[in-house]
Amino acid sequence: MSWLEYGLRGGILTTHYPHGDDRMPDAYRGEIEFVESAHQAAAGERIVADVCLSHAIADEGGSARVDSLRCFRCGECTRVAPERFLNRNHFEVARVAESPASVLRALRKRLRSLGRSIHLRHVDAGSDGSEEQELNAIFNPFYDANRLGVFLTASPRHADMLVVTGAVTKPMLEPLQRTFAAMPSPKVVIALGTTACSGGIFRDRPEIVGPVDAVLPVDVWIPGAPPSPLSILHGIWVALGHTLAHGEVGA
Amino acid sequence: MIAPSTLQATVRRRIDAGARLAWIFADRVGSEAILCYVIEEGGKLQTLSGPVFESVRSLAVGLPAAAWYEREISERWSVRFENLPPNPPLTTVLPAERLRFVDSSEVSTLLYGPVRSGIVESVRWVVETAGEDFISVYPSMWLKHRGLEARFVNVPIALAPYVAEHVSGASASSHAAAFCRATEMLLGIEASERARAARAVLVEFERIHQHLDSLAKLAEDASLSVGSAQMFAAKERVHRLLCEATGNRFARGSICVGGTRFDVFERLRQTCVRELDGLQKHALSAVDRLVSTQSLMDRLIGTGTIAHDDAAAAGAVGPTARGSGVSCDVRARDGYLFTPLDSREALEGGGDAAARTLVRVAEIRRSFQLVRNALDANPGGPHCTSARPTDGEAVARVESPQGELLYFVRIESGAIARVAVRGASFANWPLFIPSLRGNIFTDFSFIEHSFGALQSEVDR
Repeated sequence: MSWLEYGLRGGILTTHYPHGDDRMPDAYRGEIEFVESAHQAAAGERIVADVCLSHAIADEGGSARVDSLRCFRCGECTRVAPERFLNRNHFEVARVAESPASVLRALRKRLRSLGRSIHLRHVDAGSDGSEEQELNAIFNPFYDANRLGVFLTASPRHADMLVVTGAVTKPMLEPLQRTFAAMPSPKVVIALGTTACSGGIFRDRPEIVGPVDAVLPVDVWIPGAPPSPLSILHGIWVALGHTLAHGEVGA
Repeated sequence: MIAPSTLQATVRRRIDAGARLAWIFADRVGSEAILCYVIEEGGKLQTLSGPVFESVRSLAVGLPAAAWYEREISERWSVRFENLPPNPPLTTVLPAERLRFVDSSEVSTLLYGPVRSGIVESVRWVVETAGEDFISVYPSMWLKHRGLEARFVNVPIALAPYVAEHVSGASASSHAAAFCRATEMLLGIEASERARAARAVLVEFERIHQHLDSLAKLAEDASLSVGSAQMFAAKERVHRLLCEATGNRFARGSICVGGTRFDVFERLRQTCVRELDGLQKHALSAVDRLVSTQSLMDRLIGTGTIAHDDAAAAGAVGPTARGSGVSCDVRARDGYLFTPLDSREALEGGGDAAARTLVRVAEIRRSFQLVRNALDANPGGPHCTSARPTDGEAVARVESPQGELLYFVRIESGAIARVAVRGASFANWPLFIPSLRGNIFTDFSFIEHSFGALQSEVDR
């Protein structure tokens, strides 16, 4: 039996997402949500101080908000205060810049001018190594990003989209900026993973220059530690202007 | 503590008598730097430490395993080692004009990295070549240095395993387990059999997905698209199983000091009832097919060969060492994780990329067996054991997918004062350069992927 025959016998594994629905398991920590309850107390403060390693929980006087870009989805708050912090298993967590509608339209027009297929260039600016494996996974038979016209390219000269993983370390600043500069316009920058989006637990470390948006104009943020391949597909789809980002209101 | 004048001589004597040098790291007590030598004697780890005055004798001459540890300490802790062979810096990135070491017009210098084709972690290799052959190769690392060892300091002990998972996200369970084991040793507690069984299952699944990743990349290098896709598909199924059981595709947030954060064992058991048979059948049939694909094996046989004695002298660990016939499986020696062994360690004698690949395939098979053994045993006990904070220090190890992973933890006044990490990838990288000798440029990625190193645990 040849490899081809062996592969064919396995049948079709590929998701229909983003054209159809797909879902993550119930337990998947996609996003943590703060729940308003009748018994608001000082507990929020204690949680902010003790439990969140990346300071993602902002105390807003009796209420609280979880910053999705800072949260690395450890789930600690949901175990310490399950009545206040709820785990959601949704994977469509990408954010676009909080810009006026005109800027969004300009961004989408710019992206549409790229045509139907786009080429990604990846730079690891200081990741933990799992984001690379999840980005690689969007090309496996379960997700098959090629079917959406998404391809990898070795040369930044041929790249439309720059995907950056990890908070930017000092030695990686120059290689990252040079890769960005070598790409032709229009170009899109995606920050992939919580550390790339906000610095995560490294935010105050002297070894880190900052999150990706401190050094490059980021268009789409995909938080997660690491974000699942479905989240990455969603983020790319958002960047291409096909789907609304999380919390974005349709015009 | 051993007096500085005799510390290195003592270590050398113990090694000459048959001990293995596992690790050298630096610590600071007050304002004084101290060096800690971790050696393995009769299957047990021992730490010999002593203060540094001005300079210390290098062990690297005659003991290659010491070289990279001493280079890192000399560059990052300003400790002067006498007789340390001169080398370009390991942990700082030199400007391009200073990256020419061989003075000959025939030789060209290539900077390979940090931004390379494909989706890879950042590392730079400075390659000097006169056409096809490698003349010399220098590593330039620490591009991804995020200060992780310092990040641990003063983090509440209950949250510190999350930091360990950031050292290497791809082998997060091994890192969390090694950190927790060291902390439990110094706190004087032991996780229940049930919690240790859960950790063992997580680490074995991690080994399966990391080995599949390495095999997939080798298949990709050989343009074996369907083979590579099948490896990645099997890997995906492992991640889906872990996600369903733990809520994270790399099982992050599962392991804590004292055990596991919830009854991970029960969740794994329930998920495996549905998923394990199908996953195992798919993964094993695909990897068996891969190593019987002659076009791939032809490319690996005789490529990147490491002799048994070189691997042992350089302190190699994991599949890299076992491919050269060096026995080094921590699981067999430590008995800490719940892994009743029913089969012998996977060893191959060839020392080449093919041997390392065969070791990985044998280990995938064995890992499935260990998962089943642990699940069948269904041991009892609480999922987490609590402990009162105490001061102390300890070294612990876990057999991560890449090999022996070491953690040192010191707690002072109830707070974490120092954590040091020796990733398995760090122990194996020094062998990468000699393994390139006699190979040509197109072998580079095959040899690199046969090492399966994770740069994030090297740079930290």
